[in-house]
Amino acid sequence: MWKKKLYSSSQISAILSRSVASTNFSSSISISHCCNSSIFNSSSLFPSSSSSFFGRAQGKPFHSGRGLFFPTSISNLTRDNASFLRYENLFCSLSKSDEKYHCWNCGANADNSTPFLFCEACRSVQPVNESTDYFQIFGLGREYKVKVEELEKKYKDWQKKLHPDLVHSKSQREREYAAEQSARVIDAYRTLTDPLSRAIYLVKLEGVLVDEEERITDPELLAEVMELREAVDEAEGTRALNEIQVQLQEKLRYWSNSFEDAYLNKNYEDALASIRRMTYYKRTNEEIVKKL
Amino acid sequence: MLRHLTTTILGQRLRSAVGGDVLRRMYHERVVDHYNNPRNVGSFDKNDPNVGTGLVGAPACGDVMKLQIRVDEESGKIVDACFKTFGCGSAIASSSVATEWVKGKPMEEVLSIKNTEIAKHLSLPPVKLHCSMLAEDAIKAAVKDYEAKRSKSNGSQDAEPLGKAADA
Repeated sequence: MWKKKLYSSSQISAILSRSVASTNFSSSISISHCCNSSIFNSSSLFPSSSSSFFGRAQGKPFHSGRGLFFPTSISNLTRDNASFLRYENLFCSLSKSDEKYHCWNCGANADNSTPFLFCEACRSVQPVNESTDYFQIFGLGREYKVKVEELEKKYKDWQKKLHPDLVHSKSQREREYAAEQSARVIDAYRTLTDPLSRAIYLVKLEGVLVDEEERITDPELLAEVMELREAVDEAEGTRALNEIQVQLQEKLRYWSNSFEDAYLNKNYEDALASIRRMTYYKRTNEEIVKKL
Repeated sequence: MLRHLTTTILGQRLRSAVGGDVLRRMYHERVVDHYNNPRNVGSFDKNDPNVGTGLVGAPACGDVMKLQIRVDEESGKIVDACFKTFGCGSAIASSSVATEWVKGKPMEEVLSIKNTEIAKHLSLPPVKLHCSMLAEDAIKAAVKDYEAKRSKSNGSQDAEPLGKAADA
């Protein structure tokens, strides 16, 4: 679906100035793939291991925290080796102190203490920076326990600055930034408010992914879930359903704590086990809500 | 504009998730049929020695599937089957098809039922293929359970004469 296209970039400065005018962003970039992942089979073209590229959908040059990047493809690689661009380590050596973000509009330096979604100097929305994770957007560290009321306040604060309705009179470019930036903040808010999605996101940041197609045969867990689902199915009346709900909330609380312990001890196997349980209980709860 | 952005993203996801005649129907007729006219839904007695119970689950979607077979001891054929599945329509249909297909077959034969056959029969889209995998797992689990039960009861019968031989 996403093609990797290469631009043989001989006229760097021309392209640079053109690309500043029209950049486009895709949220499919994965920051976790560091400069070590080489997607090119011809290693001679990249004598230094410090070059790396990311594929982009539209094939347009795009802006990221470090500078401008050009999408690449393997087929065109051999054509124009000489004028090929070489980039320094892109995301590998990224650290908060190194990053110097500038506002695309007024050039002001970003304040590194808060995520740079919005330039206070000229009041313009900034492009999405995928390396800022959801916790950073809300000014939180990577912890499982969060205060949901504070999340809501921060969310509304952000939307007061980023919402697309506020940028109708601004440039097309800024309107696009506002659309993507506020969408990302909404995503972040939704992910962090729900304990289960928060848990899944937390371990994802550590590189541990939940397998969507996993199948299990654990008799104890499955028998318990089967029993619960049957109970919900057969329950008649709100009182019976509420009783089961209370049980479920209790279990969710228990496994939430279990997840947090496992996460803090970097025990990702147990963390995933807790996530499995929470998913089952959450699904059962959804069925109850449907019946109520 | 945000709404437009999200609906186009959702629209794309829907389209890629379902194969065939997409926009009008999300589930194939056969899946809807199994959902509306469920066959073989029920439970056998777990402790019945002729019953094998397969219990499998897909935790990522919160699905749980139970498939039971009743085996005729002498012929080794499955004389009856039932299922109980909590999950999406595709999971329910897959297990329903599985119970229909195992009836009247010898146990060894049902082990060769492949998830791809179930998926093809129901025209499952790629995103739902794991539901048919779950059904295949359930069949195998049920057979395995029955064999385990049988070997346990046979084992206890054999243990006695062994014990007597040891005493003597």
